[in-house]
Amino acid sequence: MDLRFTEEHERFRAELRGWLTRNLERPWIEELRDPANDEDSLFEKRRAWQHKLNEAGYLGMDWPKEWGGRGATAVEKAIFTEETYRLDTPPIPNVLGISLLGPALIHHGSEEQRRRFVPKMLSGEEIWCQGFSEPDAGSDLAALRTRAEADGEHFRLYGQKVWTTFGPWADWIFVLARTDAADRYGGISFFLVPLDQKGVEVRGIRQISGESEFGEVFFDGALARREHIVGRVGEGWRIAMTVLSYERGAMSLAYPAQYEGYLADVVEGCRENGTLERADVRERLGRLLVENEVMRANGLRNLAIIASGRTPGPEASIEKLYWSEYAKRLADTALDLLGPQAQLKVRAPHARHGMDWAYEALWCRAGTIYAGSSEIQRNIIAKRVLKLPVAG
Amino acid sequence: MKFDLDEDRALLKSSTRELLEKESPLADARGVMETSAEGFSKPLYAQLAELGYLGLALSEEEGGSGMGPIGLAAVLHEMGRVALPGPYLDEVLAAEALRGLEAPAAQQALRAVVGGEQQIVLARAESLSGIEPATPATRWQGGRVQGRKLFVPFGASADALLVTTAEGLVLVARPSAGWNAQPLQTLDHAQRFVEVALDAPGTLVADAASAQRRLEAVDRLAALGAAALLLGLMERALELSVAYLMERKAFGVPIGSFQALQHRAADCLLRVESSRSAVYRAAWALEHDPEAARLLVAVAKAYAGDAGRSVTGEAIQFFGGVGYTWEYDPHIYYKRTKTLEQFYGPTRAQLEAALQAAGI
Repeated sequence: MDLRFTEEHERFRAELRGWLTRNLERPWIEELRDPANDEDSLFEKRRAWQHKLNEAGYLGMDWPKEWGGRGATAVEKAIFTEETYRLDTPPIPNVLGISLLGPALIHHGSEEQRRRFVPKMLSGEEIWCQGFSEPDAGSDLAALRTRAEADGEHFRLYGQKVWTTFGPWADWIFVLARTDAADRYGGISFFLVPLDQKGVEVRGIRQISGESEFGEVFFDGALARREHIVGRVGEGWRIAMTVLSYERGAMSLAYPAQYEGYLADVVEGCRENGTLERADVRERLGRLLVENEVMRANGLRNLAIIASGRTPGPEASIEKLYWSEYAKRLADTALDLLGPQAQLKVRAPHARHGMDWAYEALWCRAGTIYAGSSEIQRNIIAKRVLKLPVAG
Repeated sequence: MKFDLDEDRALLKSSTRELLEKESPLADARGVMETSAEGFSKPLYAQLAELGYLGLALSEEEGGSGMGPIGLAAVLHEMGRVALPGPYLDEVLAAEALRGLEAPAAQQALRAVVGGEQQIVLARAESLSGIEPATPATRWQGGRVQGRKLFVPFGASADALLVTTAEGLVLVARPSAGWNAQPLQTLDHAQRFVEVALDAPGTLVADAASAQRRLEAVDRLAALGAAALLLGLMERALELSVAYLMERKAFGVPIGSFQALQHRAADCLLRVESSRSAVYRAAWALEHDPEAARLLVAVAKAYAGDAGRSVTGEAIQFFGGVGYTWEYDPHIYYKRTKTLEQFYGPTRAQLEAALQAAGI
């Protein structure tokens, strides 16, 4: 066993910290608090931050240098996300493009597609959204019905995608669409489609937080060009499933670092309101601390497996289930222990400075739904790890 | 970075599994738990001592095999899987208390424990609530120990007790008439706690200050060791549960095909795997990063206690009616878990220790 980071890792971390400290104007929560910002200006700040990161070579961490990446290891990538989460940097807008589409293009795309799309994706010049889920195909993604009909050399798309994060700001969408109605998996293809065209309508969806960070996309005869299919016709499902695995380990240290910061704010709040020495309060704080450290232990183990060149199996499902369920316990406890102040919105008078609990208490509810709900993660664990039989 | 055990300790773990599955399968161990007066198999413990198991975590200069906390965790992990009855961990802890003490009696006692010639355990508890006074009421005066100790593990059969007193650690040899001990039966029928009334000659082997230092080390190793045992117990309880879910049929299908049970089993796996991460990380820290170990050992024990309670409790529920029978095994895992959860540094104390280690 060896759970230490190598000297090389530590050097990378030190450099990165230095760069972040020099370049981050203020933590993201300060931007959120600033009344001069609205949803659009916040989006542009995110884009500008992404641009900066890219210029410094911190995006596409584990991609080959040839494609604008850094050629870094999984551990360095994990350190990168850990440090950015710890310092509360602006979340980058092309997160789905970079984490999902980029690897898909690098591994399955054509030379031409890579040249055309990757640089602008990294720089933030073109924003991508993901068109996988549909109103009737969420957890059961292969039930998707958006169809791509052949139209001469190209295709026309008909159908509806939903939960498209940053849809309202995006320029392009990567879409799973059905090219063969009869073949559940082999009838799905992976298209790259510009949103600014006839036959595409993007609508924002108002979330429980009041923002419209995600939306829905309606296709009614939108043009999808043959040269913009990633892989071959009918390979979409396989490509989508493999790209979902490329992100493994990237968040292993980031969530524990982020929640450590959140927990520090709860502790600080309890100190302020005079309850920190109360036994019931300490027991609840103690459990949150313990569970967060166990999350970090899982993350280190996960990374160690990846670093030794093996593919983690159930660890990915365990990781997702763990952090998303933990986030709910953390926010619930914060609101219990901090009292009314924690419910104040970020720009309300008297709001806490370190943490936007009013938002987190809502946002944590999304975590157990998106990217494979807790129920889906439990299904995966029950079937693939415990080998329990599929219901008859 | 590497999470896997190194070759020596992986071999230690697999050979321990082989040994215990052969020498102490649960079917046999159940007999020992129910009928033996001592609560453990003396021949098996003699074999363990002969194979060097009692000195695992000690250095070679101390007569041990230098397998360290990681090796000890790996062995206890296996002992948990078969719910091995007896004072293995208690003896390891007595050895830890005696480590590095200069008194000749202490050095002799350490050799005797490690060599298996004597069964020595610590006698510490004086409170029924688990909240101990800062200074024990038990005294050592004029070469005699006087006091009353509760919950002495496997104390009736002990050759000597290492007793905490206001003056320090005192080694008390078994009086020729035997201990003035009465059994304190708990819900865990595999456990053998006794209450001992002491009024006997004893040798002070560590003064109060040095006793405190030794006991801090003991507490840390106790928490790690109990967490590793808990890991083995819950891991095996889940394996048995999953096998039962496959085998037991209701409505014409294996009950394991029902999603309500699948999801609970999945949550159990999360707890077992998370305990594994926490236990080995803590063991690693105890060996390589003592500063971090203060936090990480408390984390492992607190988490494994909660997780073990949940997973072994679920095992009873998965088995349904037969889960509540003496005949089936889930109750063994559940009961052992209760002992380990509440003794060896209870969860409440570990949560507090974790907070303090984190500066909160």
